[in-house]
Amino acid sequence: MDWKEYLIDSLHLRHTAEAVAAKTVPHHRSSIWYYFGGLALMFFTIQIVTGVMLLFYYEPTAELAHKSIERIMTQVPFGWLIRSVHSWSANALMAMIFIHMFSAFLMKSYRTPRYVMWLTGIILLLLMMGFGFTGYLLPWDQTAYFATKIGTEVPRALPWVGDLISSLMKGAKDVNGATLTRMFALHVGVLPVISILLVVVHVVLILLLGSGIPPGAKVTGSTKYFPDYLMKETMLWLVGFGLLIAIAVLYPWELGKAYDLANPTEPPAGVHPEWYFMFLFQTLKIIPEWVAIIGFGILLLFWTFVPFLDRKARRGEKSPIFTYIGIAAILYLCVMTTWAYVAVGDERTAASKEQLHQAPQGGQNAK
Amino acid sequence: MQNDQNIKRRGILKGLVTGAAAVVTAPIIYIAARFLGYVRIGGSGQTSATIAFSELTPESPSKLIQINDEPVIVVREKNNEIRAFTATCTHLGCTVSYKPEQPGFYCKCHQGKYDDNGINIPGTRPKSPLTELTVIDKGTELEIQMTPKAKS
Repeated sequence: MDWKEYLIDSLHLRHTAEAVAAKTVPHHRSSIWYYFGGLALMFFTIQIVTGVMLLFYYEPTAELAHKSIERIMTQVPFGWLIRSVHSWSANALMAMIFIHMFSAFLMKSYRTPRYVMWLTGIILLLLMMGFGFTGYLLPWDQTAYFATKIGTEVPRALPWVGDLISSLMKGAKDVNGATLTRMFALHVGVLPVISILLVVVHVVLILLLGSGIPPGAKVTGSTKYFPDYLMKETMLWLVGFGLLIAIAVLYPWELGKAYDLANPTEPPAGVHPEWYFMFLFQTLKIIPEWVAIIGFGILLLFWTFVPFLDRKARRGEKSPIFTYIGIAAILYLCVMTTWAYVAVGDERTAASKEQLHQAPQGGQNAK
Repeated sequence: MQNDQNIKRRGILKGLVTGAAAVVTAPIIYIAARFLGYVRIGGSGQTSATIAFSELTPESPSKLIQINDEPVIVVREKNNEIRAFTATCTHLGCTVSYKPEQPGFYCKCHQGKYDDNGINIPGTRPKSPLTELTVIDKGTELEIQMTPKAKS
């Protein structure tokens, strides 16, 4: 018996090994989208590794958070790179998750019995957005401070429970050191534990349930997952990793000015959250908060339970209405996100013009 | 024939992917080792600290202060002479306290003893003395410097 067989038997992994050996990936015109789940998994792993590394030097208090990140970026060898990779990889992860989710939606991969994967996927999406929200405050810079202020104020628009949710998020009357501690605990303790468990469940389910084939798709063949498809995935991961490092090196993630609780300042012009919250940010600008929260709540419920609502797809038939809904959702996200960025750009231009006008009055040289 | 070529191609591909993964892994290990191997040295960079003479009384004749991230103990002896010593026990790094009745310094962690000149008392755990530091009398204030006191 060779060592691989010995290891499989001693760890009681015979069933798993057989499932992996038997797994095949079907070929059809949409099979390219299968790669995005794997890419998301790679970026998630990078997040865990770089996140743990940053924990060695990060100090989670309002007084020291910003300074410790400054130290990571200026004194710790390769600290600037690790932090830049962590920040860029977070964005890449969100991008992969959105592509993975929408491709699964449009391919109707949520059909029974794969609805469990869809449900775990939705929870993972929310957890990843939670990572983004909680991680945004950790550098304790001015943009992070005000963006978190806005983010923790939004739930207040909800009747009865709004104030409670808002103060639970802040851990205080206003965003301060208590909020930072709370966000830190969620970011490095609660969210990782739940998401690692769910990622494992999500991946095991792929093994058990196989890849979803869109209704009506013509399957032209299949590739064995191990080792052939895994080899292709590894090649793509190497490319993805290379691109990530290139971007992290060429465009190191910036660190804004520290926010000083003792000397409150005005928010910098064009304060905004990360790009994956921009559609929410823009929506909140144009409709009342409570309408937005309730509206998005209903949409999220619809999105979560779509495997049970799309009856045609469950029977293996095409369901164009749900395809249109998916496309409409993508269009909505793209339009609102673009609009939000244009608005932020306008605000910044207006602010810099105002500064130019004010500078000569203050006796300074306007350049 | 076709099958043989496929197997050969797969072997080359496998070698290439494994090689590329190894090429990527080596710098990752180097970067991670350098990153995690960083140790902050030099402390706060502070070389001295000042305390008021009135902080040391016959009832409370010693005071622990911190200079450059290191504990320092300042004592007022019975003859009103002010002396300062490094307060890190030379045994296993605990902080020593001043015992006028002993007289000298005592470490609670492993019952280490030093005499009032900071010399380790044989038979107790510390094997080397505490370092006496320079104290400059500035009238009502005392400046404690991190430099060893010059031998008279």
